Parts: sequence; structure tokens; C-alpha cells
Amino acid sequence: MHFFKRISLIIIIIIVSLVIMDRLRDSESNEILIKDVVIDNNKDVKTIKFNQEINFDSLIIKAIEKGIPLAFKVTLRVVEISDIWPTKTILKKVEYYQIEYKTLRKVYRIEDINGNKNEYKYIDKAIQKILKVEDLKFSFIDNNMNYELWLNVALDRKKLPKPLQVNYFDRTWYMNSNKSIHQL
Amino acid sequence: MKYIITTAAFIGIALLILLAKAISNSDLISSDSFRILLGLNIFFICSLIILIAVQIFRLLQSIKKEITGSRLTLRLVLSFALMGIVPVLIVYLVSVNFLTKSIESWFDVKVESALEGGLTLGQKTIDILMSDIELKGRSIAYSIGNADTEQRNNILTDLRAKFGIQDAVIFDQDSKIIEVSSEKNNLIPSIPNIEDLKRGGEDFFGRIEEIKGKEIYLKAFIPIISKTLTSERLILQLTQPIPPSIANLALSVESVYDEYQQLTYSRNSLKIIYILTLTLVLLLALLSSVAASFVISRRFSSPLAMLADATRQISKGNYKKIISEQGKDEIGVLISSFNSMTSQLEEATKNSEKNRERLEVARTFLETILAHLTTGVIVVNDKKIIQLNNVSASKMLQNKENKMNDMAMNKIISNKSLFEPLYKFFETYIDDNKKNKKEISQEFRLKKDKQERTIMLQITPLRDKNSTKYVLVIDDISEVTQAQRHSAWGEIARRLAHEIKNPLTPIQLSAERIQHKFSNKLNKEDSIILERSTKTIVNQVNALKVMVNEFAEYARPPKIQKDKIRIDNLVDEVIELYEINKLISIKKDKNIPFIYADQNKLRQVIINLIENSQDALKDIKKPKIKIFIRKKVNEVELIIEDNGIGIPDEIIGRIFEPYVTSKKTGTGLGLAIVHKIIEEHDGKIKIEKINTSGTRVLIKFKSEINNRHG
Repeated sequence: MHFFKRISLIIIIIIVSLVIMDRLRDSESNEILIKDVVIDNNKDVKTIKFNQEINFDSLIIKAIEKGIPLAFKVTLRVVEISDIWPTKTILKKVEYYQIEYKTLRKVYRIEDINGNKNEYKYIDKAIQKILKVEDLKFSFIDNNMNYELWLNVALDRKKLPKPLQVNYFDRTWYMNSNKSIHQL
Repeated sequence: MKYIITTAAFIGIALLILLAKAISNSDLISSDSFRILLGLNIFFICSLIILIAVQIFRLLQSIKKEITGSRLTLRLVLSFALMGIVPVLIVYLVSVNFLTKSIESWFDVKVESALEGGLTLGQKTIDILMSDIELKGRSIAYSIGNADTEQRNNILTDLRAKFGIQDAVIFDQDSKIIEVSSEKNNLIPSIPNIEDLKRGGEDFFGRIEEIKGKEIYLKAFIPIISKTLTSERLILQLTQPIPPSIANLALSVESVYDEYQQLTYSRNSLKIIYILTLTLVLLLALLSSVAASFVISRRFSSPLAMLADATRQISKGNYKKIISEQGKDEIGVLISSFNSMTSQLEEATKNSEKNRERLEVARTFLETILAHLTTGVIVVNDKKIIQLNNVSASKMLQNKENKMNDMAMNKIISNKSLFEPLYKFFETYIDDNKKNKKEISQEFRLKKDKQERTIMLQITPLRDKNSTKYVLVIDDISEVTQAQRHSAWGEIARRLAHEIKNPLTPIQLSAERIQHKFSNKLNKEDSIILERSTKTIVNQVNALKVMVNEFAEYARPPKIQKDKIRIDNLVDEVIELYEINKLISIKKDKNIPFIYADQNKLRQVIINLIENSQDALKDIKKPKIKIFIRKKVNEVELIIEDNGIGIPDEIIGRIFEPYVTSKKTGTGLGLAIVHKIIEEHDGKIKIEKINTSGTRVLIKFKSEINNRHG
């Protein structure tokens, strides 16, 4: 009986800690919405373009104006779907696009996923620019297999200033999209 | 439990160190390991909270069950916890306040203003340079617009060199290079994007470009308006580097300003993370100290609890409780002394128990003796309260209950008139204030139911330091005195028989001889007188002989020959001898057991008693003699009753004494001899009056147990 009491105590501790750890994990927020995905399937090198809806609240706008760069991580994954076996990743590609305010020149600089830089005097235009992702290229060998394309966009917290990275309790910086799935 | 808490304390310290290191290391702080570390700390804190909660619950349960030492443990835990919590809380509050103020102090208004001023200065400088290049650009564009196509290149080169511009390029609307002039003879200029060209085709458009954060270039786009009014739309692009000294300073100010702004923005996060770390440290320290306080408290209270428990056990009489040794400190010495004391107590208790047992044995022995004593023994204190008595005393004093402890002597005795002389004697003795009173004894003749009893009362004082007690020994010596009296009578009878019997025969012979010799010699009258006198002498001598024989019988030494007889048969045999046997009725139980007795002596007894009854029935109208023979437990009873005149009250108490008789002609030795014979048979005889008249004689014999039936 005493043994079971101890076991139950350990189980309680583990459950409580798991709950706490879960609270510390990145939350599955849906602040980024991927839409209008167009995949050019005709060539070996495939091209994707899509639009996004990102809810930039006042805190984020203020952060951008204070010179904090926001880097968004686009994760592209081509997976093989099987009814029997677990999903197998065929290709994984990670690209970044970024918005940053240059205080000296008073411009918003956008760097797209291909490394092209554009500068805008006004933030609205800069945001309009980053909401469109174009020319995301990828290629894989076999066109005849049953593949799926998984797309995900998230704010890369690791490129934020360190105090903001560590502040796990501020949910402002947990920007993530749902997994957008497309048949190839 | 103590191992868990010790392990937990070590883990807590390790986690704290790791957390502190992580906070000071900016690379670590941003990594996932910091998050894991933070999670581990929180997990550990939760574990500690649960551990402490369990401990508190157990402690409260112990207090509820009134387990020894639990209250002391609670008090110690509270004390230790308070000792830890108060200073740690103070340090925590001061640290949080200090930290918050320190972080706030980083963001000084003056610093911010200075940085903004520096940045504005840089911006203004760049604006001035941009205005300068705009003027120069417009001038070049104007000159080229008014020049012929063949002269464009020369004018462009001249003016570029004149204005000190590094690169000058003319594009058409399709980004096609029309003319190029470069200070460094760079014939492949950088191609602007379409958007820039588009904006530059409309009006002046300047932009600043950074190359790897080291150099800043001013890039100006100016539309060229041709005088020839052709549809060709040309755009002049001028590229001019900002002097490195200005560029470096401007970039440096921008960089610092950006960092400062970022820091300002994230200061709340900074505060949160530092306060979080401090709070974790506080919680770890507090909870560890509370958890440790349980271990320390138990360590302190455990030996004291054991001592308390052992004391309780000892108070209940368990002297075998030994506490295990607890080191060599003061508590260890205390426990050692306690164990020593317990051993001594156990030894003393054993001795005491032995003594008590001995006393108990002695007391039981004394009680047994007292209980079996026929002599009454009473112990009375100086307030005349009975402290102790035996059964015989209770019976003698005719008390219903055997135990008379704590009863007043006067209540036992004074309300019984029979014992009044005894009580007066006792009271006089007790109330006498003489010191060193000596032992005293006195004989009392007490009459009860017309029977006289001789009681000997002996009072012995027992003195101790504080009080005096008195031992009253009450002895019924009636039988002793009676036996003494019988013995005395026996001696008298023996002497009388000896002294009187010897001269009787010579007297009788002499008288007969006188008659024989002188009857013929005397005249008739004298002869008659002689004959009558001689006859009287002979008769009297014969009477004396009968009396002397009876005395001799009474005084004879006990010499009986016992046989196994049945008393009922003997009674039947004796009754047949009497003519008056019709007066006699016999009732006897069946199967009367044998008795061991001298048949002749018992016959003498029965004859004597029947004759006594016969004598008592002489003047009675309806004389009756009833004989009962009854079988009792180990006894045979013989009862002879008559309805005669009975025995006078004055003599009934002494009826078995010689010469005590109610008959005019009797010697008074008959019942004395009967009594003697019955005593010689270890039997008992009792004579009592029946109601108004008549006498009942009750004789008891011991029956022969082994062979009851004949």
C-alpha cells in the first residue's frame, strides 16, 4: 500500500511538470494564415507562390519601428504518404523573409526568400510586400509518387532580441501558421 | 525522507547554479537548453511543493493521532521555516526592487536624447549630401537635356568630374545603359531595379544604399528632359559615396540607437526574466529551507520524542524501555543518563516487586493464620476504628460481615449489651492517657441465652512514630475453664473415692459384727435399736459405696474400646430393657452409618439419658420420650427428647458439672459422666429446653465414612 502511495505521488509530480512544460512550449497560435497557394507543377523545378494574412498588432508594429527585425521562417516539406508506413519526408527546405526598419535612412527594408532587398518609406507597403511569397523553388526526383506538400510559416523567435526570446510568457511573439497541405 | 530532501537540496543547488550561469551567458539564454533548465527548475519546485505538502499532511495527521513529538516537530519546523523565509523574502524584495530600478536606470532620457540627436545629425548630414547631389544631378540632367546626342558623353564626363561625382550613368526607361562615366573607370555599373528607375523617371528620387554595413552610397535618380521633344525618356543615375568618416559615425550611431531601442522595447521582458529567475531562486531557497527544516526538526525532535515516549512508558510502569544512543552531544548524554536512570528504576522496581511479593506472602500467611485462628484478633487505632480483624473476631462479636475494616469499635460492640463489659474495659484502657501503657488482659463471664461463656480479652499496644494501635485478642475460654473444672472435679473424685472407699468396708464389717455379737446379748428393745442402727450404717455405707463408685467412674482414666457399631441397633437394644418402652417412640433414617464407639459406654450413656427422662416424666400426664437417629454429612445425630419438667434455667449452663442436678435423690454425676464419655468419643453433646417444658439432648458422633452401611 505504501509502495502504491509513493508511485501515485510520483505520477502526480510528473503530470504537474508535464502541464508546466506544456505551458512553456510554443503555443499553436493561428496568427498567420496561408492562402492562395499556387504550385507550378509543369517543370522539374517547381515554383510556389502564396499569400498570407498576418495579424500584426500594435505591439509588433511598435517593435518593428523600434528597429527589431522580424524574420519569418517558411518551412516547405515534401512528404510521401503511405497507408501502411509512417509519413516519410522526401524534401525539406527552409527559407526566410524579413522586415527591418533602418532608422538612419528611415526606411523599411524587406528581404524576400530569394535574398532580394527592397526598401519602403511606409510600413503599410512594406507589409504588403512581405505578405506575398513568390518564387519559392523546389525539386524532387519522382513525379509519379503520392506526395504531399506541407507548408508552414512562423516567426523565427531565435532572431528576436534575447530578452524577447526568453520571455516565454509573452504570447505576442508566438506567430505561427497551421500546416497547409497540398497534393503534388 | 531525509535522503529524498538531501538529494532534492543538491539538485536544487545545481539547478540554481546552472540557471545563474545561463542568465549571465547570452548564448545559453537564447538556446533551448535554457528553456529546459527553466522547466527543470519549475518541475523541481513543484516536486518540492508536493513533498512539503505531503510532509505537512503527515505531520498534521501525527498531531491528530497525538503521536509523541509531532507538536514539537511542528513548532521546530515553523521556527526553522520562519528563520529561512523572513530573511530570504527581505533579500528577494530588495533584489527585485534593485533589479527593477537598475534596468530602468539603463534607459535614461538623456542617453536616449543624445542617441536620437546623433542619429538626427547623421540623417541631416546625409540629407545635406543628398540635396547637394540633387542640385548637381539636376544641373547635369539639364545640360544633357539641352545637348546633342553626340555631346552627351563628353558633357556627362566633364560635369561628373567637375562636381566630383563618383559614377554617373544614363538609362533609358527599359534600364538600358545609354551613357556611363566613372571616376574609377567602372564601365559596368550596378543596374537599378525597375521600380527605382520608374520613380526616377518621374522626378528626383534619392536613396541611400549600404554595402555590407561599411560604406554608404547616395544614389540619385533624376529625369532628363530633352529639348528636342523626342519621346525618349532618359534617367540619370548618380552614385556618390558618403565620406567614410561620416559614414562610419552615422552607421555606428544607428547601430547603437537600434540596440538601445530594442533594449528599451524589451525591458519589460528583461524585468520579467530576471524577476522570474529571482523568484525561482527564492522559491528554491524557501522550499529547500522548509524541506530541510522538516529533516532538521525531526532530527531534533526525534530523540526528544523518544524521551517523552519513554517517560510515558515509564510512568505506565514499563521500565524496560531503552532508547538507542544518539551520538555524544548533550542529547546523547541526556539519553544515556535516561537509560541509566531507567535501568536503575527497573532494578529498584524489581527489588520493590520482590519485597512486595514477600510482603504479600507474609500478609497472606498472616491472614491465613488469622483466618484459621479460633481466637478473635482485632487491630484498632487510637480513634477506636478497626483496621484489621479476622473471621473469628467477627463471629465472636456476632457481626454479620466478616470484614469490619474502618468500622468504629463502639458501633460493633456497644449496641450489644452482651459485650458491654468488654467495651467498657477497652474504652477505659484506650482513653487512659498514660504513657507506655502495658499489655493488659481480663476474663469476662458473659451470659447469653442463659448460658455462661468465659471470654478472655487481651489488649496489646503497638506503637509507631505517629500513632498507637491496639491489638485486641478475644478468646472464648469457656471450654478450657470447663475442662479445667472437670479436671479439678476428677481429681477431687479420685481422692474422695480413694479416701472414702477404703474405710467403708471396715465400717460396714464392724457394724455387721457389732450387730452379730451384741444382738443376742441385748434386750429386745435394744436389740431392735441395734439392728435398726446397724442397718442404717450398712445402708449408708452402701449408699456411700454407690456414690464412691460413681466418683470412681467419673474419675477413672479414659479407657475405652472402640468397635464399629450402629447406634440405631444399640438404641433398640437398650429400649427393650425398659417396661416403659411404650412411651418411647423412635424415628430413624434409613442406612444409618457405622460409628466407632465403645458399645458398653454408649449403652451407659443411653440408659442414663432415658432414666433422666423417665425421672422428669414422673408427674406428667402424657409422658413421651422421642428418640431420633439422623444421618448427617459425616455425622450421626442422636436426639432424645421428653416432655418432662425440664431443667431449671439456673443450672442448665452448668448441667454437665458434677453435683449439679435438679433431682432430689441424684448424685449429680450422671450427666457429668455422660459428658465425659461423649468427649472420649470425640462427640458433641448439647442439652436444651424445649419451649415451655421438656428437654432435648443432642449428641453428635462422627460417622465411619469408608463403610457406611452394615
